[in-house]
Amino acid sequence: MKRLLAPALLAAVVLALPLAPVLAQESDRVVDGVITGVTAAPGGELVSFKLVDSAGLMVDLKVQGGAQPTEFGLENQAGDRWASDQAKAPVEAARRLQDHQARFAPVTVTVRGDTAVSVVERESGRLETNLGYLFALYTATWAAFFAYIFYLSRRQRDLQREVARLKDSMPRSKAQ
Amino acid sequence: MGKAVFNYNVFMAVTIAMMGLVLWMVFIWTPTETEQGAISRSLFFHVPLAWVSMVAIAGVSIASLAYLRFKDIRWDRLAVAMAETGVVAGGLMLLTGMVWAKPVWGTWWTGEAKLTTALIMFFIYVAYLMFRAYYPAGAQRHRLAAIIAVIGVVDSLIVYAAADLWERAHPPIIIGPAAEEDDQFASEFGLTLLASVVAFSLTYALVVYERYRIRSTEDELAELTKRKESLEVAPA
Repeated sequence: MKRLLAPALLAAVVLALPLAPVLAQESDRVVDGVITGVTAAPGGELVSFKLVDSAGLMVDLKVQGGAQPTEFGLENQAGDRWASDQAKAPVEAARRLQDHQARFAPVTVTVRGDTAVSVVERESGRLETNLGYLFALYTATWAAFFAYIFYLSRRQRDLQREVARLKDSMPRSKAQ
Repeated sequence: MGKAVFNYNVFMAVTIAMMGLVLWMVFIWTPTETEQGAISRSLFFHVPLAWVSMVAIAGVSIASLAYLRFKDIRWDRLAVAMAETGVVAGGLMLLTGMVWAKPVWGTWWTGEAKLTTALIMFFIYVAYLMFRAYYPAGAQRHRLAAIIAVIGVVDSLIVYAAADLWERAHPPIIIGPAAEEDDQFASEFGLTLLASVVAFSLTYALVVYERYRIRSTEDELAELTKRKESLEVAPA
């Protein structure tokens, strides 16, 4: 039995190796937000950038070149899409992110650890943080409106009673 | 009377509950539209207001014609109450539409048929009310006012179909018999829109009812004043 334990462990490790990237990817997180800062090298190559996420939290993110570079899929103001990565076009990547920062254009970033795996145009609409306030404001406004209608209806009822009482108490004119 | 007040209170409670539910659905439950973002939520107010203003002008014309036929003052009061509330709905419809159009189209207004005919409908409401206010009282006033209301109905039908008749920037019809998709109310967006249309229709009915009652009291007061004046002129 003990003789089989070592080969079994070895086989498990070998079989698990191809799953490692998948398991690692599952720990990736997605951040929706707006770029607030871009750091570039003296030559203009992108080094890192800052993002404010939908909860208002600031996130510092590095980019990486090499075999698994940070990928970009970004659109300019006219809607033309640019797709490349940090290894191929680091200077253009910096320029594109600065353009997004200037336009407050939201992006969706896939993050692994403290490094951006991909930066693309916003993919999910989870940027709105003030909808709760808007909901409260609308609710208060409608509540005031209905309260006014209710107040009017009560006044109206009282007025109708008063008119009916006056009509009854008033003597009929000679013409009638 | 007691039963009527009770029913009114229940009606008001249902309307308030419905509007509360709609606000929760609009701002909390419905996910944000991916292309337009948060501004798309204004459509949950714009579309029901447009619906109410179009249905209301039909109600105004029916009540006006019914008054001409039956000579019952209650039809006349109903027509005016519906017109006064309808003009508010029409104005808010134009306003919410412009607020939506600016970020989505890049402009507050375009000259396309849907928008132009909607603006004309608003002016028809205004014309109806101004005519009622300034034209000398009598049968002629009621006849001409009814004609204005009927013109409003024809225009509202054009407003409803305009986006499909002249395809431009305005989105196609999404509610009513000419809507393009049958399963439109299967999504959160569609359900919220449906609930909003119901809530705004109830609110409209509530306000019309209140305005109708106020107008009834105004008429009674006018009658009372007339009686008082006749007593003063010819004391017993």
